[in-house]
Amino acid sequence: MTTPVPRIVVPESVRKGEAFTVKTIISHPMETGLRKDEHGSVIPRKIINRFACTYGGVLVFSVDLHEAVSANPFFEFELVATESGRLQFVWEEDGGALYGLSHDLVVE
Amino acid sequence: MELTRRELLRSVCAGTAALAGAALPPVSSIAGDDALAFVEKTFDRGATMSSRVQLTMPSVFPTGYTVPMDIAIDTAMTDNDRVRSVRVFAPGNPLLEVAGFNFVAGRSVPRVSTRIRLAKPQFVVAIAEMNDGALLANKVWVDVATDGCA
Repeated sequence: MTTPVPRIVVPESVRKGEAFTVKTIISHPMETGLRKDEHGSVIPRKIINRFACTYGGVLVFSVDLHEAVSANPFFEFELVATESGRLQFVWEEDGGALYGLSHDLVVE
Repeated sequence: MELTRRELLRSVCAGTAALAGAALPPVSSIAGDDALAFVEKTFDRGATMSSRVQLTMPSVFPTGYTVPMDIAIDTAMTDNDRVRSVRVFAPGNPLLEVAGFNFVAGRSVPRVSTRIRLAKPQFVVAIAEMNDGALLANKVWVDVATDGCA
């Protein structure tokens, strides 16, 4: 499997108190564990099972993913601009591997 | 009495229709029952259907691999009225649970969009757990042309 690559779309700056849109995606096959290979043996499950977003160190949004989330899991959600700070995005894969990105948000 | 082919067909059809009508519960109740029963077992209490849970999906979609799903919960996200989490179930999939979304009052807006897999045409069910523990549910019928779980 190629290494999953996460990507985010976040505004550079936002006005205090306003909601802003965050788009995230990670390249990942989300192997369900239900499929079989050409020899008839089960392809083991390997999915991104959790996604979390922290803002200034505080958890503000998270997702528990199961097998039915599509390959290359995509989320679009909205956060409230409270103060300038770092947004951190973490994707956790079966087996414990973590993939992350961060973004310094300016709140005016 | 001599029965013509047409009369025979007509009576068979009518009989089948009557049987089908009697034996099968309406589609809407099949839908929810599996999921609501599952949810009752999982959460250890029942859910009520509510329009405050806005689950938006296409009614017909060509592939089951990437069906768009949009969820919004009608709540002010105040201390007294907020949603803690929303869990989504696809009772017609080999594995029932799709995803759970967790929101934080004052920090995130109770809305999310993503893409999910559906194995066959079915009702998708969303259950919102509110701050007082109430479970609010809604469901939407999605007709997919291909199996997204194969």
